[in-house]
Amino acid sequence: MSNPILKVENLHVNFNTYAGTVQAIRDVSFDLNKGETLAIVGESGSGKSVTTKTLMGLNAKNASIPDNSRLIFKDRNLLDLKEEEWQTIRGNEIAMIFQDPMTSLDPTMKIGMQIAEPLMKHRKMKKEDALKRALELMKGVGIPNSEEHINDYPHQWSGGMRQRAVVAIALAADPEILIADEPTTALDVTIQAQILNLMKSLQKETSSSIIFITHDLGVVAGMANRVAVMYAGKIVEYGTVDEIFFNPQHPYTWGLLNSMPTTDTQIGSLEAIPGTPPDLLDPPKGDAFASRNVYALAIDSKEEPPFFKVSDTHYAATWLLDERSPKVTPPVQIQKRWARWQEIQGQEA
Amino acid sequence: MWKYIFKRLVLLVFTLFLVTTATFFLMQIMPGTPFNNPKLTPEALAQLKTTYGLDLPVWQQYLNYLVGAAHGDFGTSFQYQNQSVSMLIGQRLPVSAQLGAQALVVGVIAGLFMGAASARNKNNKIDGTLGIISTLGISIPSFILGIVLVYLFGFKWPLFPVSGWGDSFSQTILPTLALAVSPAAVTTRFVRSEMIESLSSDYVQLAKAKGLSAKEVVNQHAYRNSMIPVLTLIGPMAAGLLTGSTLIEQIFSIPGIGQQFVLSIPSKDFPVIMGTTIVYSAMLMVMILITDILTAIVDPRVRLQ
Ligand SMILES: Nc1ncnc2c1ncn2[C@@H]1O[C@H](COP(=O)(O)OP(=O)(O)OP(=O)(O)O)[C@@H](O)[C@H]1O
Ligand SMILES: [Mg+2]
Repeated sequence: MSNPILKVENLHVNFNTYAGTVQAIRDVSFDLNKGETLAIVGESGSGKSVTTKTLMGLNAKNASIPDNSRLIFKDRNLLDLKEEEWQTIRGNEIAMIFQDPMTSLDPTMKIGMQIAEPLMKHRKMKKEDALKRALELMKGVGIPNSEEHINDYPHQWSGGMRQRAVVAIALAADPEILIADEPTTALDVTIQAQILNLMKSLQKETSSSIIFITHDLGVVAGMANRVAVMYAGKIVEYGTVDEIFFNPQHPYTWGLLNSMPTTDTQIGSLEAIPGTPPDLLDPPKGDAFASRNVYALAIDSKEEPPFFKVSDTHYAATWLLDERSPKVTPPVQIQKRWARWQEIQGQEA
Repeated sequence: MWKYIFKRLVLLVFTLFLVTTATFFLMQIMPGTPFNNPKLTPEALAQLKTTYGLDLPVWQQYLNYLVGAAHGDFGTSFQYQNQSVSMLIGQRLPVSAQLGAQALVVGVIAGLFMGAASARNKNNKIDGTLGIISTLGISIPSFILGIVLVYLFGFKWPLFPVSGWGDSFSQTILPTLALAVSPAAVTTRFVRSEMIESLSSDYVQLAKAKGLSAKEVVNQHAYRNSMIPVLTLIGPMAAGLLTGSTLIEQIFSIPGIGQQFVLSIPSKDFPVIMGTTIVYSAMLMVMILITDILTAIVDPRVRLQ
């Protein structure tokens, strides 16, 4: 059934700073299957971008990764690679779409050339051939009258068009994994939808796997197959999209869902999660979410919860799932989601 | 583009007119005349004044001067009789232009290399050393450097000639170096900060994510982005060279327009002072115009506006 192309095992990423060691990623493990889209969601600072940069081997200089962390891609641990070996993977087997199209293109280089660059690097194409392919890619990402625009510079294009160019750059060398770190947050809503649809249809054509980073659960539903919820450098819950949306178990996931704007009036309501994430220079003992969690148990501040299995595909790290835990009643909106889950299950059965 | 250049040229001519007017009237205010030699008889003085048109009313003199200047005629020198100012300047300008151009080219090229080296070695010893050198280069005036160079390479280790011009290229080396230090220092600092900014930019992140090596990232992306803005410095640096060259030409006995300018002040050679000032302003404005046009050609963002 599952066919992981990438396995992340016990990933830790620390940053050495003057103030001390920032434990940005604290034991993250997940698999990425071939052809699927995995969304990673979480508040600002939860470690989403650090995770993606680690997958590209592009972490800041002050990062350190302990030896027991593993990123298995094609039978190799990427963390053992030398810089030159990384260069054969970046933009080739694993590519990345950046967040802000206004700043991620080189303002002084023709866009066609910027798309051709990875082809010249990885496919050893000559400039003319690479530019020909760049033109096809521009058409592929829906840039109108591509021929006329291949020699344009970025400032001549709108944000939405630029993000299409950024997508074309990422797809140029036919990567097996595409990492999109908030690829639409800098764009307005209608353009967002266009870019997301573009990514979806391109994924169908190329059957690549996507890691989709966002802090906006709203865009996840239409995009992803599975969702991992991150908090304070850890994954706290993961499952299929339906499982996370309609059968969430972790109080942090509840909070995220409740703070998500929704058109579904039955579920309704908009509340931000109170409090702020913990200081990763000195992460708290036990469950890092405890101090913000109205459902926190005594054990939360003493011992870290393990992952409890909800289904074969769904796990959550919260003591609420322990059989010794008292039964709590989640917020009404979550109860409504659970009810919806029962309906879905009923239909399937 | 042509429209833009035309507009700028019109503006340039107008500015030159203002400069001419201002210098003319400033000269009127200057005390004393070049002809206050007590040996001159009143008749001879009157004769001289007629020759130079100084007996006319001021507004008449002004109009004559403007008309002349518009035709490239800045009158006759008081000091070297029968020598026209245009000719004096015409002889000396190429010398100064060569010196200035050499200093600018050497300075900017050295600055590009040092700035890039500094940025790529940010916060280590190379960067620190270059930082100290460029701070010194900016704060020490070129004439002091000139004197130091004369002492070091003219007397202590006599490697280069320390005066004159036009006999051999080696004569140009020390004055060029003395003048080049400041543009080199300015360029170094500027390129360093531009390059550091560029290396931490999103487009460099994207270039790395394409799989480019550090060297390719720098050569294909960071360099161009941090060098283009250097063009905007050339105008102000040329201004610095103009003022610097007056003293450097004195120190190295170079027969340039700067030396001429300095010599003509104590001898109250008004036509030469005025002519030189106007030529200086014109050169400066042309330099700035050329810089702007070059920037427009090289920088795609400016090109289309
Ligand atoms: N180079 C660094 N040095 C020190 N700390 C860092 C560094 N890079 C990231 N961090 C810290 O790591 C944590 C995770 O950051 P990250 O950028 O992954 O968050 P994020 O989930 O992507 O948030 P956002 O939604 O704002 O993009 C933050 O606390 C951040 O301050
Ligand atoms: Mg981020």
